[in-house]
Amino acid sequence: MTASATPHLLLDGIDEPGLNTLPVYARRGGYEVMKDALRRPQDGIVEELKQSGLRGRGGAGFPLGMKASFIPAGDIDKYLVCNADESEPGTFKDREIMQKCPHRLIEGMIIAAYTVGANKAFIFIRGEYMHQADVLEAAVEEAKAAGYLGNDILGSGFNLDLWVHRGAGAYICGEETGLLDSLEGKRGNPRLKPPFPANQGLYQGPTLINNVETLSTIPVILGMGGEEYAKLGVERSSGTKLISVSGHVQRPGNYEIELGMKARDIIEGLAGGTTPGHRVKFWFPGGSSSPVLLEDDLDLTYDFDTMAKAGSMLGSGAIIVCDDTTSPVDVALKLATFYRHESCGKCTPCREGTNWTLRMLERVEAGLATPMDLDRIESVQNQIMGNCLCVLGDAMAMPVSSLVKKFRGEFEEHLEKKRASEDFMLGFDPAAGGHVDTPIRVVA
Amino acid sequence: MPRPQRSPITFTIDGRDVVAPEGTMLADAAKVGDVEIPVFCYEPKLGAPVGACRMCLVEVEGIPKLQTACSTPVKDGMVVNTTAPKVKAAQESVLEFLLVNHPLDCPVCDKGGECPLQDISYGWGRGLSRVAEPKRHFTKPLELSPLIAIDRERCILCYRCVRFSQEVAEDHQLVFLERGADTYVGTFDSHPYVAPFSGNIIELCPVGALTSRPYRFRARPWDIEGGGTVCTLCPGQCNVTHTVRDERVLRTLSRENDAVDDGWLCDKGRFSYQAATAPERLQQPLVRDADGNLQPASWDDALDRAASILRASGERTAAIAGGRTLNEEGYLLQRLLRDQLSSPHLESRIAPGPSRELLAALHAPALQATVPDLEFAHHVLLLDIEPQEAAPILELRLRKGARRLGTKLSVAGPRPSALDPRAQHVLRYAPGGNEGFLKALAAALEGGDVSGPAAAAGIDAAAVSGLADTLKAAGEDRVILYSDALLSGPGADESARALLRIAAALSLSGEDGAGSGGAGLLGIPATTNGRGLREAGVLPDAGPGLRAVAHPGRDLPGIAEGLAGSELDALIALGVDPIADLQGRAAWRQALGASHLIAVSSFLTEGVAGYAAVVFPQEAPAEQEGTLTHPDGRVQRARPAVRRPDGIRSGWWVLAQLAARLGDRTTLHTAGMAFAELTAEVPFLAGLTLDEIGGKGVRWPTLAEAATWPKGTTDLEPQTDATVVPPANGALRLARQSSPWRIPEVAASKALRFLVPSADARLAPADAERLGITEGSPVALSVDGTEISATARLDSRIPAGTVVAQAGVPGGGADELGGAAAGGIGLVEVRSA
Amino acid sequence: MTPAPEHDSYFIERGPEPGGTGAVGRAFGETLRGLKTTFGRLVEGPTTVQYPEEKIPVYPRFRGRHRLHRFEDTGLEKCVGCSLCAAACPADCIRVVAAENTPDHRVSGGERYAAVYEINMSRCIFCGYCELACPFDAITMGNDFELADYTRSDLIFTKEMLLAEPLERTPLRAEGE
Repeated sequence: MTASATPHLLLDGIDEPGLNTLPVYARRGGYEVMKDALRRPQDGIVEELKQSGLRGRGGAGFPLGMKASFIPAGDIDKYLVCNADESEPGTFKDREIMQKCPHRLIEGMIIAAYTVGANKAFIFIRGEYMHQADVLEAAVEEAKAAGYLGNDILGSGFNLDLWVHRGAGAYICGEETGLLDSLEGKRGNPRLKPPFPANQGLYQGPTLINNVETLSTIPVILGMGGEEYAKLGVERSSGTKLISVSGHVQRPGNYEIELGMKARDIIEGLAGGTTPGHRVKFWFPGGSSSPVLLEDDLDLTYDFDTMAKAGSMLGSGAIIVCDDTTSPVDVALKLATFYRHESCGKCTPCREGTNWTLRMLERVEAGLATPMDLDRIESVQNQIMGNCLCVLGDAMAMPVSSLVKKFRGEFEEHLEKKRASEDFMLGFDPAAGGHVDTPIRVVA
Repeated sequence: MPRPQRSPITFTIDGRDVVAPEGTMLADAAKVGDVEIPVFCYEPKLGAPVGACRMCLVEVEGIPKLQTACSTPVKDGMVVNTTAPKVKAAQESVLEFLLVNHPLDCPVCDKGGECPLQDISYGWGRGLSRVAEPKRHFTKPLELSPLIAIDRERCILCYRCVRFSQEVAEDHQLVFLERGADTYVGTFDSHPYVAPFSGNIIELCPVGALTSRPYRFRARPWDIEGGGTVCTLCPGQCNVTHTVRDERVLRTLSRENDAVDDGWLCDKGRFSYQAATAPERLQQPLVRDADGNLQPASWDDALDRAASILRASGERTAAIAGGRTLNEEGYLLQRLLRDQLSSPHLESRIAPGPSRELLAALHAPALQATVPDLEFAHHVLLLDIEPQEAAPILELRLRKGARRLGTKLSVAGPRPSALDPRAQHVLRYAPGGNEGFLKALAAALEGGDVSGPAAAAGIDAAAVSGLADTLKAAGEDRVILYSDALLSGPGADESARALLRIAAALSLSGEDGAGSGGAGLLGIPATTNGRGLREAGVLPDAGPGLRAVAHPGRDLPGIAEGLAGSELDALIALGVDPIADLQGRAAWRQALGASHLIAVSSFLTEGVAGYAAVVFPQEAPAEQEGTLTHPDGRVQRARPAVRRPDGIRSGWWVLAQLAARLGDRTTLHTAGMAFAELTAEVPFLAGLTLDEIGGKGVRWPTLAEAATWPKGTTDLEPQTDATVVPPANGALRLARQSSPWRIPEVAASKALRFLVPSADARLAPADAERLGITEGSPVALSVDGTEISATARLDSRIPAGTVVAQAGVPGGGADELGGAAAGGIGLVEVRSA
Repeated sequence: MTPAPEHDSYFIERGPEPGGTGAVGRAFGETLRGLKTTFGRLVEGPTTVQYPEEKIPVYPRFRGRHRLHRFEDTGLEKCVGCSLCAAACPADCIRVVAAENTPDHRVSGGERYAAVYEINMSRCIFCGYCELACPFDAITMGNDFELADYTRSDLIFTKEMLLAEPLERTPLRAEGE
């Protein structure tokens, strides 16, 4: 899992055996940055983070330094939460960090907690990452034993307790406020914003909540200096980024790239491109919730602003490549099934919109729809976008809408083919509500 | 805690400049400018908005995304647009989504015609449907509880009922189950949702998903009329609107009055309207014939018979008023007794209480706390009161203050309370230790000897001192909420003095003389209009307006004794059954057996059926006309929502007729005339008219006439040492639990009947183990040879040495135990049966 | 003959002055003209309909006495007791009291049925709004207009009366008649 010409910061020596243990991590200079940071004034660290221009790596891309500066000062209960609920289809970068280099995350969290004055920190890890949670828990124990966690860390007077909390397997708990509710023991539903977590987060206290990659980058930035870090990448998208490439490529995996690299270099260079004889049909630049881009867009540079300008987004940095054997109808149906299943049900457009979209796509799949239904699907996606409480509704609406818009011809062709086929309507009962069996329960 | 003061600001909505208080949510502020923003999930009564339904999206200038009006506070200079194409599109989208799975069974749905979803669909919807897909299906309708039907297909998942259960009633029963489009409202393991306030979710539901089972298919909104009145079933006196069709009450809804009920109702008030049409309700006068059987009689015969009994007994007559007796009736009753019969033996409490001077001091306008004070106080101390039993609606108010404003609560009493988990201090003293506890707390606040009285009350002195320290350190707005039970029994006067000393030490007396300073005392009487009856003069030692009387009468044990002996001959029981409602059943059975009873009652309860010579049928709550006084001094009007059945006459008319037959020359033709006579006699109500009282009531302590309130006693020095609660010595101390469901109206309502309490005896696990009693096993409780049976319930919240027995259960329960004369402390033998 | 607003005076057209020789001729002539109509009709024969032995057929959309309907297949009542007819009724002559169907006692197709359905025919103005309001086509206006009775209370039609198949006493006009 190596690539050339890209500085290795997060993936530096990532495959070294035993890097997940403290001795190896310490031998490679681990926790030195933290020791140094604990002696620095907090606002200096915030300033340096701002200088680095690091934007959150979870998907929304909000600048870390700015977020940290929103946390009010003062002697109140503040919290640091690490969002390790990495559930976006196609994203698996945090898994590698936590599994192979958990101490960098812990180090980053200690520095972040110290910076904002939080004394309690949580890592909310998705339930399916059992092995990674075990690794993290072992690492936390090691750090505690070494005196990096607990009371009066290394004589600095700073206290920090850190817990690893395993989620129960809900995509919506990757949404920061849903994560906080789940952490509080409630049903994992997103909260209304404002108030933002920086003001009222976990247990109503100011909370800094960031992604694994973001927090792991903090020691790197402080190690090399914010200004130096800002020189990497392009303007407004500084530094390096871990990207997960999957789909129809020859070398899927995690790669660390400098932002601003050409997408073609990533997909065709690093990941080896599609199998010979096939072409890229479309690709998701930032996980399954980003609108798809086409082959022509491969020459765009891969950074936050260019992706946004192209009508998509960089998101969590998960590139999913689909070659010309892929049916956009299948992809849309898969996406809708996933998001309908994961919608929390709190707000109307997402709950009903995802459900309705799936039902409509099922009709399309079965060949029962007409081209007018495609208009209806697009219109419903527009009705979802921007009207939801959190971004889950948009996360389905954007890619589905882009697929229908960009591959309208193929959708119509599918309808025609289906209708002409011999098994048309075979086994499909429109009154049964498609294949999603809605539960019927009887209360005693 | 100071009430929030909001300065007015100006913002623009749809091109109109509107002045609204700063910080109000846009959805509310828009109404000031006559702009309606549709909402489903927003309901200010439920606390912070959740923004789930997305119906209220509006455009705010300067913010690119549409904002939810329910969660956006207005700011000065804000420019809002609710008619922009973007907003219109969003509204239509949300409505279309809501209707994707909503069944079109409006003609069958009970909500049809008064349904926000219908109204908003008509007002803001697109008017056509593009849904070709099948809808979501659930089995329907199902019983969420015996009172509520749930139709999950109609549910739009707006969160209102769930938030009510989680954040207002805090019973934490209703939850969302499953996820996404499969979400549905339910309870853990499909248990029925039975809670004291469950009926409120019916009114909250913006669609027909939660409907009342007793009202199911009874009427449609255009078939009915509303009749606003006051619920007269408990001292909470919530304001209600009865839904009337064909001269029958079919439903009861809340009529929001912030100063009284905050817009909620308990299930007792909401569903017991059925009792009015129950077959067991008395519909005509009854007279006992020579064979000792009650026979129907004409009104003239019954009145003549009652008058002849009274003429014979003369000054050897006693009278007790209780239950739902109104001010006018109380006033006429005391006039009948004092003027026509020259008898001073009147009582309106269910147990002997403090003397007139102490009552005057306790209820002084300056010392009076109001219901909203409970919400905004810095600290509320609950003394021997379980709000859920005394006046259920106050529990919601206390929870609201504690949850939203951080009001601190402390609870002291012999029994566990539902508010214990919310309390900063929970103090449990021995049953009968009221006097000792109050003296200990007074001493702790004044710096005297705490340990002596604390030991007498069977409580740790350090705990009392801890409470005193907290109270002293709490902000100035401190409210003490207490029940009649705190100041009853032989030590009532001493307890009242101690309570007044506590109030003085905490300087609860309001500076402005109206008690509106946010601090004070709030005493909840045992009966609905307890306060009004006291002020109308239904007390042995006080006349109307609590003025002194020349010859004080007997207290309750005295009346029972007199009736049993030869000193008293007749008893008028107005809305009260001495055997069922008062303590000491054996003594009352003896008393009634030896005298004549003239009863006014709705039901043939034990005392009425067994002993009454004449029974006059009583009006149902929805038929009553008159005034009543809330425990915080608010005079409210009860107005008839339906006509009385033919055989029933008003209470005031019966009393006026009796008085006329006994020689009274004044004539009364209406309830209003009776009220005018009352106000003429009671100085602090002088000049008050029914119009002024209106729909929301008037607190007389805020009127100028309040200055005429009699001066109370100023001598608060304790005169005796606190009565020592005897050590249990193997027996247990008896505390009574009086369920809110014990009243006959509950038993007579078909819907509520399942809530009639069963005979439970709750005791500490340690005691149970010692006595060899297990959970659910039958036990026998005995005092002085009287024995009752009960089912044992183990409850770790009950201190060792105490047994809490349910009163008011069919067959008697705890009421059977203990003599009327003893009143207070009872030791009870408990054994496994 | 409206006065023009700008003029103070206006002209009135009058008939011929009474009296004179022309008047006799006019009176005689006009009488003959009238008699021509009379005799003309005389030869056409009688047009009186011998009601009630004989009845004029009504048009299919004639609004007569109401009918309640059942489903033909199941025999269940179509009316679910929604009261919308009562809401629409401008004469306030419909009274509906609903009740709930149970598995043992199923009366209508929906969850509820009309336990009481009464129309006071002495108040009804036969406007047909009830028919329009009905979401289930449970009530329609029939053709029967012979509703006279001896007491007012007999004019309150109950659900059973409205459900019953009416006697065919009113002839219906055939297509194109």
